Amino acid sequence: MSVRRAFNRWRATAAPWAVLRAFVVFVYVFSLGPILITAAVSFNATNRSFFPPRGFSLRWWERAFAPEWVDPLLFSLKLGSLTAVVATALALPLAFALYRYRFRGRQALIALTLGPLMMPTLVTGVGLLQLFQQLGWREQLGFTGLLVGHVVICMPFAVRTVSVSLQTLPPNVELAAASLGATRIATLRWVVLPLVKTGVVAGGVFAFIHSFTDVNLSIFLARPGETPITVRILGFLEFGFAPTLAAVSVITLIVPLALVAVVERVSGLGDFIYGERRRA
Amino acid sequence: MPEPALRLTGLEKHYGATTAVAGIDLTVGHGEFVTLLGPSGCGKTTTLALIAGFVPPSAGEIYLKGRSVADLPAFRRDIGVVFQDYALFPHMTAGENVAFGLRMRKVAPVDIARRVGEALDLVQLKGLGERRPLQLSGGQRQRVALARALVINPTVLLLDEPLSNLDLKLREEMRVEIVSIQRRLGITTVFVTHDQGEALVMSDRVAVMNAGRIEQIGRPADIYERPATRFVAEFIGRMNLFAGTVTDARSVRTASGVEISLPVPREIPVGANVSIAVRPERARVTSERTARGLALAGTVRQVFYLGATREYRVDLEGGERGLVETPNDGSDARFASGDTVWLTASFDDCRLIEGGIPRGRP
Repeated sequence: MSVRRAFNRWRATAAPWAVLRAFVVFVYVFSLGPILITAAVSFNATNRSFFPPRGFSLRWWERAFAPEWVDPLLFSLKLGSLTAVVATALALPLAFALYRYRFRGRQALIALTLGPLMMPTLVTGVGLLQLFQQLGWREQLGFTGLLVGHVVICMPFAVRTVSVSLQTLPPNVELAAASLGATRIATLRWVVLPLVKTGVVAGGVFAFIHSFTDVNLSIFLARPGETPITVRILGFLEFGFAPTLAAVSVITLIVPLALVAVVERVSGLGDFIYGERRRA
Repeated sequence: MPEPALRLTGLEKHYGATTAVAGIDLTVGHGEFVTLLGPSGCGKTTTLALIAGFVPPSAGEIYLKGRSVADLPAFRRDIGVVFQDYALFPHMTAGENVAFGLRMRKVAPVDIARRVGEALDLVQLKGLGERRPLQLSGGQRQRVALARALVINPTVLLLDEPLSNLDLKLREEMRVEIVSIQRRLGITTVFVTHDQGEALVMSDRVAVMNAGRIEQIGRPADIYERPATRFVAEFIGRMNLFAGTVTDARSVRTASGVEISLPVPREIPVGANVSIAVRPERARVTSERTARGLALAGTVRQVFYLGATREYRVDLEGGERGLVETPNDGSDARFASGDTVWLTASFDDCRLIEGGIPRGRP
């Protein structure tokens, strides 16, 4: 076999795989690398964030579990959960109206609902802060303000996932239920909701994650004592990247990951996260 | 006289400027199997949706056992529906699907279990109650849908092209089975299809629909033998239609100018344009002109061998074309392409239908 032919064969068969492999490695290095480095840094025995870590110590982890970090973490969890519940509760009827019925102003309502998805959250945050001040709701900043803001920016995700599952609903099942004597409420309860459940749960999870990781909007609406973990971390960064922060970051990372893992197990959420329907 | 199971009077449905159903009157007796037959877009499925209560009528009344239900929502009408795509609940087992209607009616769990079992037996799905729809074949899903609609003992059973998603063999099997179940339960049934074979085989009566109206309603043989309109004549089976003009109460002049004596129905006036309708299997190709009945001169254009039958395509004098179907009796074709022949039919096999033949027809 000539060298040229061997090269051509390599180019045709092995080369694409080699390129793909290199690409995958590249992606993983840059997505997992920072996490691993952060995790390693948190075990430094020194006061500075060295990598590779110098010595081994758990004292930064001890600090990370002090109230000054645990409180904002719990605050974020509470905020994220409530945001998820409110956003999906609003998204369900909204998705129904938007994708099941044709009415005047439907396009406008779609734009209004999905708009925050396209807008920088920073701008939404500034706007909301202005609004709250104009309305004299300064007292509502903190948890209530954050909840309102987070629902606004998280709802588009929930509306999207719910409407996707509404669109995969078999066409005549609602009529079939009606013909069998089910009222509209009963149809919703026994037929529609079970069939769109995955979309609703996925919407909730996306909303939670988006809320939990948001910093752009939260910095405007938080106030002392009612601060999400992300804003707290950002504030602490002014004093440099201490190993404590590394430990806190790892905890902050694990919480949503664990949540997604659990929900995925319970509800077969993979369809939505991975964008495919594995069930026939 | 007892009230009919189902009665429609002046039923109409308009969607904006489009008319889906343009005024339907129909009475279906208890235990009767009536088919709405027509091409797609003729309004048959909309009529079904109106009866089921899925869409509100624009005008007209719907009576179930004499009671007006036009204002009643679908879930209070007691009507069983089998959909074209079956519309089974994918998250429930076959048994749960069948039980759904009973659960909605708050039937006691013990009775539900018994009746679901009976219904599954009825459609020969014994032992498959635990399967989910996705684990069932098309034919089995169809049976689940049927059991689900029947288990609630509906006043009327509506079937919306339920066989169109099955392959040919299964379809023919299910035709027979649906009818046998229907007869056994004596359940009033309205069946929608565009398949004339299905309609003729299964129905007590067939309502042929076109453009939102019923063109003709009658027993399958009536519809086939005595089509009332051009549309029905052409939609059911194959039909020769020859143009003619009524010259007096007993004769018609054909397009080629030949006067033939045919009894003209009283409602068709002298001078009217008519179509002489002859079924291909009732027409004959002969070498001599027959003394009585229809006889049109022509030339054989093509002869097709179809196994059970032979088909002669004849170019007639005057430019029309004729089709003759003869049973295969074992002999060779008596005519070949190019032969000069007569297309003949007896009086009894010809029907006059009012209205001429539009230009541009093949």
